[in-house]
Amino acid sequence: MSHQCHPEVILATEVKVNEVEFNPKFVCRMIPKLEWSTLVQAADQLGHREELPGELVPDYEKNEDFLKKVHRVLLEVEVIEGCLQCPESGREFPISKGIPNMLLNEDEA
Amino acid sequence: MVRYYCTAGNGMESFLVEEVKKKLAARDVHQIPGKVLFSSSATIHRVCDLKAAERLFLLLKQDSPVGMSTHTSPAKTASVLRSRLLGDRRQWLRAVMTWSRLQGELAASRSAVTASTTHGVREKGRESERQSDEGKKCRQESRKRSHSFTAEESDEKRQRGREQIRRHALELEKDDDVKESEEVCATYSKKELEQNVESYSKNMKNMDDLGEDASLESVENVSFRINCKCSGSLSRCVGAQEVSKVMGVGLSKLLGWKADLKNPKLEISVFLSDDYSLLGIPLTRLPLANRSYIKSTGLRSTIAWAMASLAQIQPGFCIVDPMCGVGTILIEAANEHKAACFLGVDIDDGQLHKADENIAFAELQGRVHLLKASSKALPLPSASVDAVVCDLPFGRKFSTRVNMADNLPLILSEMERVLCVGGTLVVLLSPQLSCLLKKLLSHTHSGPKGSKEDESQTGIKNCLVSSSEQQISQIKSSSSQETLTISSLRHQTTLRVSLGAIDGLIHKYIKTPD
Repeated sequence: MSHQCHPEVILATEVKVNEVEFNPKFVCRMIPKLEWSTLVQAADQLGHREELPGELVPDYEKNEDFLKKVHRVLLEVEVIEGCLQCPESGREFPISKGIPNMLLNEDEA
Repeated sequence: MVRYYCTAGNGMESFLVEEVKKKLAARDVHQIPGKVLFSSSATIHRVCDLKAAERLFLLLKQDSPVGMSTHTSPAKTASVLRSRLLGDRRQWLRAVMTWSRLQGELAASRSAVTASTTHGVREKGRESERQSDEGKKCRQESRKRSHSFTAEESDEKRQRGREQIRRHALELEKDDDVKESEEVCATYSKKELEQNVESYSKNMKNMDDLGEDASLESVENVSFRINCKCSGSLSRCVGAQEVSKVMGVGLSKLLGWKADLKNPKLEISVFLSDDYSLLGIPLTRLPLANRSYIKSTGLRSTIAWAMASLAQIQPGFCIVDPMCGVGTILIEAANEHKAACFLGVDIDDGQLHKADENIAFAELQGRVHLLKASSKALPLPSASVDAVVCDLPFGRKFSTRVNMADNLPLILSEMERVLCVGGTLVVLLSPQLSCLLKKLLSHTHSGPKGSKEDESQTGIKNCLVSSSEQQISQIKSSSSQETLTISSLRHQTTLRVSLGAIDGLIHKYIKTPD
């Protein structure tokens, strides 16, 4: 769920939560790079909103509780099977074994 | 302060020089082709953590070349070799002492790692390593280590040995001399492996009388093997076997050691060239370049690491490898840069599957992500990443359907598009592709070159980057003059590195504002 697929709707059939070592520095560095509302929306769709607020909280660098929630959503929640959907064209990009397939056609190579 | 040397692949020496200076605060760093010599007081674990090196040795002797001519008689040759290579007895004893101590430290951490079946225990192991790094008092550490050992007891024999060692260590804890107990710490685990507690305590007492005749006891009965390499014109005068034989006999006489070709305790490496003579003892069985955290390898790990080091990765950076293969570059980079985020793109399911396994094995999920997509149409917004690092597939290993030369302009323009201004591009290419790339980037104002493929793929971009439709139309217009787009890449450096059978060239560019 990196920022690069933010215009997507996520339809997940299998979601996994991996335990990843908490690295507050990394999370702090990533937050400014995210579109906050998109992250929250995506987390919500997966049923892992973790009580994240709709607005980014100020002074989050020192708020460990908040950073841990972002850490969970950002690093630990993984869509194993499902698809990404483009809200405009309705086109779907399947996610298989955790890897989204962004190819339009298989013969694109 | 210990003097080491590392072997390095051709072209990797300069990376290694930088690395030992930066990570180990190394002094007297000296570079010769294929090797880097340095002194450092960093712990052996940190030395073993070097990424640009192939193998690590304890330096025994560094000397001027052995002068020899084809006319020299065999007897004379042997006497020259003896006088030049054997030298002082004390030097050998001291070296073996240091080697033993370092082996002990390495064995201690290995046991701590094997003990780490559960997360908690591993944390302890790491903690004790860190403590020794910081030079904290040893008694705390030895208690912790003993603890982690008992956590994984399986072999009864070993357990008994450990118990004795622990008791011994505890006794020593009473002693207020911290320095002495530090040495206990360094050696006891090594001996724990050898299950030789009795002689161990003897050795330990002798540690302080370094150079004294008493110390002989601990380095007596050393079995050894000579591993000799001769190069240049010297190799026409004297053979490696001959050198090994002369040295083997000489060392047996000098120190009472026993030659053992099959299973020696000590291996002595001898390199003789026209420029230098180098003697050393390997410190690890496996080369440092064999990464414990990588399951299946693609590109040589040292080169992957070097490419990542050129990318000037900062905390918070987002780095993309648009043809990631099994993810070697991403894993090397993510291990080095803990506060950066990585994305690997590949079109091949098999490669992506292996990359996924590798990422999980290296415990880098969450920071390294994968996408299946074409490098000719990256599903990423323009100017969205801080660095692009890529090993462009070529050669016999990759019989791709794609002709890389034909696709290079398009792949490169995609890399350039996703990079932000100031971002770094590091690519590894074959010599042929390297020439092509140079041509491509020098002819910045050649005529427009249409690309049908790009037209057909704009749909994806449109869809995925719906928020930036303006950018898409820009790409569309610029891709019709793709060479113009690429003109924003400013060449920084080109480095030649050996990939084994062939050489590869690493190009580095920075994206400038148009």
